[in-house]
Amino acid sequence: MGDIEDTHFETGDSGASATFPMQCSALRKNGFVMLKGRPCKIVEMSTSKTGKHGHAKVHLVGIDIFNGKKYEDICPSTHNMDVPHVKREDYQLTDISDDGYLTLMADNGDLREDLKIPDGDLGTQLRSDFDGGKELLCTVLKSCGEECVIAVKANTALDK
Amino acid sequence: MDNSVIQTLETAAQMLLAPPNVVSSEQRHQAESVFLEFRSTKNPYQLCRELLERSTSDYVLFEAASLIKSALLKEWSLLSQIDISSLREYLLNYLMRKETPPFLREKLLQTIAIIIKRGSIEDGGRERKALLAELEKVILGSPINQQKLACSLILAIMQEYAITVKSADVGLTWDVHFRLKKSFETVDLKKIFRFTVSVLEQIVRSGHRPEGEQALLTKQLLTIVDTVLCWNHVSSLLSKRYISAIYESVSAPALRLSISWRDTIMQPELIALFFEIHVYVRSNPELADASLSCLVQLSTLSGVVVTTANLKQQYFDNYVKCFVNMLLYIQPVDKEILGISHIYRRLVQCFPSQINGTTAQAFLQNLTTLTCHCIRGSIAEERVNDDTVWREALSKFLHTWCSLVHESEGFSNETLMEPCKEVFNTYLQSRLAPPDGTREAELADDDINNDIEEDERSQHSNVLLTLGALARKAPAHCCHVLFTLLQDRSKRLEGQLQLMHMGKLPVTNGEDLIGLFEDLHWILMITGHFIAVDCTEGETVLIPSEIINYSIQQNANVDASLRYFVGESTNTDNVDSIFKLVGLILSISTWECAALEAGLGTVFSPELSATISWLLKIWSNSYLMLQGSAHAEISPVLDCAFGRTSNIVTWVVARLASRVGTCLRYLSGQPAAATQALQLLTTLAHAQHKQNPLASSEEFLNLVAWEAAGNNLPGEYRKELHRAIAICATYAEGDVRSRLLTSTAALQDKLFNIMNMKSDTEPIRNMLADTMDCYIGVTEGVLEVGAMDEQFLMLIGAIDKIPEIIFTYHNYPGVVLPCLNLLAKSAKRMLHSVQPQNVTKFLEVCNTTFEVYMRWNSGKISSIPTDAEEEAYEDICALMEVICSIARTGAERVGETCARGLRILLPMITPQLLALPTLAQQAYKMLRDLTASDQLMHMPIEDFHMVVTALRVGLTAVSYDVSTLCCDTIVGLSNKARTLGEDNPYALSLLTLAELLLMLIIKTEIPPDCIPAAGDAIYALTCVKPALLESMARQLIEAFAINDPTNVPRLEGAFAILTEGVIFDGLRRHKLCFQDNFQKFLANVHGFLIVK
Repeated sequence: MGDIEDTHFETGDSGASATFPMQCSALRKNGFVMLKGRPCKIVEMSTSKTGKHGHAKVHLVGIDIFNGKKYEDICPSTHNMDVPHVKREDYQLTDISDDGYLTLMADNGDLREDLKIPDGDLGTQLRSDFDGGKELLCTVLKSCGEECVIAVKANTALDK
Repeated sequence: MDNSVIQTLETAAQMLLAPPNVVSSEQRHQAESVFLEFRSTKNPYQLCRELLERSTSDYVLFEAASLIKSALLKEWSLLSQIDISSLREYLLNYLMRKETPPFLREKLLQTIAIIIKRGSIEDGGRERKALLAELEKVILGSPINQQKLACSLILAIMQEYAITVKSADVGLTWDVHFRLKKSFETVDLKKIFRFTVSVLEQIVRSGHRPEGEQALLTKQLLTIVDTVLCWNHVSSLLSKRYISAIYESVSAPALRLSISWRDTIMQPELIALFFEIHVYVRSNPELADASLSCLVQLSTLSGVVVTTANLKQQYFDNYVKCFVNMLLYIQPVDKEILGISHIYRRLVQCFPSQINGTTAQAFLQNLTTLTCHCIRGSIAEERVNDDTVWREALSKFLHTWCSLVHESEGFSNETLMEPCKEVFNTYLQSRLAPPDGTREAELADDDINNDIEEDERSQHSNVLLTLGALARKAPAHCCHVLFTLLQDRSKRLEGQLQLMHMGKLPVTNGEDLIGLFEDLHWILMITGHFIAVDCTEGETVLIPSEIINYSIQQNANVDASLRYFVGESTNTDNVDSIFKLVGLILSISTWECAALEAGLGTVFSPELSATISWLLKIWSNSYLMLQGSAHAEISPVLDCAFGRTSNIVTWVVARLASRVGTCLRYLSGQPAAATQALQLLTTLAHAQHKQNPLASSEEFLNLVAWEAAGNNLPGEYRKELHRAIAICATYAEGDVRSRLLTSTAALQDKLFNIMNMKSDTEPIRNMLADTMDCYIGVTEGVLEVGAMDEQFLMLIGAIDKIPEIIFTYHNYPGVVLPCLNLLAKSAKRMLHSVQPQNVTKFLEVCNTTFEVYMRWNSGKISSIPTDAEEEAYEDICALMEVICSIARTGAERVGETCARGLRILLPMITPQLLALPTLAQQAYKMLRDLTASDQLMHMPIEDFHMVVTALRVGLTAVSYDVSTLCCDTIVGLSNKARTLGEDNPYALSLLTLAELLLMLIIKTEIPPDCIPAAGDAIYALTCVKPALLESMARQLIEAFAINDPTNVPRLEGAFAILTEGVIFDGLRRHKLCFQDNFQKFLANVHGFLIVK
């Protein structure tokens, strides 16, 4: 990646590209990459080469940041890979509608009601905590036009 | 006994063994409980006899045999002498008359052996002697089946006395075990040996081929002899504390015999007989293993039996005579070569002063031939790659050579020169392509996994190191061969690349090119090990003395050598050969760089590039800036070229720095090449004095500027680059230093810029993570304690920002983790030697970081649990590292910070995380370290409860490391708690662990190796509250009184032993007394509660 001045910053919104290219060898574990068209978090990176005097290839294993599915890909280390723009933002949960939509408040006070309660254990936990009167903070993950709540925690900041 | 018992057991056995679709799980459980109950039958001997006679189910027979064994061990003290010997006679008789399956036979034989061993405590071995005499008779004149059985019984008895993992160790203290072993080995071992050897002699002389039953018997006899020769004799020198809890080691010890063996072992015919036996059985691989093992053991004879040099020489000469004689007649096959290589290795190891005797010539000649044979074999084996016999054998042979060339009292240099040349040539040939060599074409392209497979340098490192040492015994020859080959191959490769550059050849790496790469790769690896020693860490590496001597001998023209070296002349007359060789390598490096810059990076082999960098690395490590005083002698030309003040050094360093720059620019995607280039740079940076030519070289400063300006190097390499720069800056001064530090300053600027932009996009986060990694490199590079504060100030700018970064980017583990790592690394590497005000500053950052981290992470629930676990795992490891490192500095006020850290960490270490062994180990190590530095007792009591809970979890983890750490922590905490008084809340909390610990020990639910540590913990806890042990004992006995009243008196007795004569005051003397009692207590309790 070049210096700050060389980097063209995307806001990640409104018509901007959802991904940007990066040299394969510069990817890092715990970073993000597009594998088979899905935004993934890199959980494993290893290198291999064809024959002793061949050039290196990078073997990537990633898990889909939305659904946890595992994907793999292999790519010459000098080539570019697409890296998704990923955002994780925290919202305060203010209400849950009858049809299962969350009312979320951003730091600046804006409200949104377009996200559904997540599936599985997380959703169950979220609902029971909310019903139990806990102040909850939801982490919303956004990438490649998809969005969902991926983590919940009690809002301790409010206690202070 | 009525038939119903047999019926019940046999039906239950059927249920257990039936396939899952035939029986229900309930039926299976029922069957299990039948056997569980059966196993706890008291006084079961008559019942078991009946079962052995009448049952037809293998499973029931096996259970009956096992029950006899375990009941015997539990009830030994309650049985009469007569009952025991009648049982023994019955069992032996049973085995003699019945054809039994092996699993049953082994069990029953072991039971007889146990009876013999336990019995010998009282009768001093009388029964054993009688039985052995009886067995000898059987072996001499009974049907072959009974002969085999007799051998098996001898082996079982030996196994029981030898104290292996297979022998029953319960019910006796180690003292008794060792006393019995000692008496067995003095009284019976030699007798068994002589008898068995005489039987073997008869077999060999009979002339029958070792086939069928006869072969099986021979094998058993050989195994007995082998076991005697591998016997680990009890040494009177070992103290009781050392031998306790030590099982026999896996590898056989040297054959160390007492004087009473002299008449037997010194007979020349005996050794000859063993070689004869081997020749007789070698066609049968199973027998050959045992006979070779005997020969290897015989080659290690030592101890008082051969105290005088004369005796040793006599034994050695005789052995080698027989050995060489055998080698005349046989061509070693497969595993045999391994045994033979072992023999050579052991002979050279055990008889270093005897080698140069009458047999020297034959000894060396055979060694050379066999080594060359083995080189060819091992390289053929590499290609197939399914077995490692030849490679292992080669490694043994080379070990042998290594001793020979380094040992001063062995052969002279003149004697060794020709054999060394032969081995060197053979190896080199086997690595080169035809016509010079015999290497076969590369197999079809298959993927090599870089991360899993070791690179070839480390894979062959032992072989190459020794080969280098051998080559230095014939330096003129080897230097000439290597130079000629290198010149030829490099010319050919350079020519090809030029043609490609000019467009006269297609730019692809065809077979020709790969062949050249491979040749060069091997020639350079061998050259590297010839001119220098591959060791870049640890002690200072010098130029090998043989190379210096060779340079002195040549007496070359200094000027001509230097001119050739720097490329000012191509005339090789009067040029020192080493300079010729290295000059050529430097020119190869130069045109490789030119090729990369000309865009031929896609064809050039990254592996070869890595090898070139590696060679230059180890060469510069010992040649550049040599210290005259470190070498005993130095040649004028070496001194002139590489002394401290030489211009040549500056010239070389500049070229090497430029090479590193080129490699990083063009090969950053090739891990091996980039890593070796960076290691070369680090080696150059390490020259520890103020005028390191690297610091002032323009080429290096260009590289620094390149990094400061920003580039697309992967983060890990940038980190290494910063490390090298920091190392160099540590020693630099003035203007040079400030130029070097521009790259660190640039890091800070970049960081501040990012922070000011308040932007949250993926590229920015990547850049942040990279920057943090680079800072870690800087931290790792700061070496000198004196310079710490100054460098720390540069770092604190970044460290200061960590809480803010974690606050802003808390949702991105890719950013959080490098931040925590930087904190951990800098705490570890610098905090111990910076000024107090800097420590304070650092602690403040830690405190805020902990708070911020907790705020965002405690109680977080994620949609992808496994993912969240991994993130938590890595973060927690880094946080623990921070806490441990600051605790270790021992500075004032660290206690508070540690406690804060611990308070947020402990709730986050969930049971799921503790199930991960590495995390658990690190967590408990942290607790132990914190105990040592007195941090835990100062925590609020609620937090201390969490520590105790964590210890409770750790004790039940059934892992040696974790349990031991927990016990050590308990000891540390108890020692502190003792001073506070037993009613103190900390002491009370701690004491809740005692009962758990005792139960774990009694039920052997704690790993056996931890038991000494657990004993210490019990003692330490009792010291806190002396009435503790007694009350626990009472409780336990009360519990037994309900379930198992018969064992109550024995349990009471055991507890009485435990506290006998012990005062719980923490004094060493009393602690040792407790340890002794504890061992007796365990032997006692385990004897009747549990049987292995």
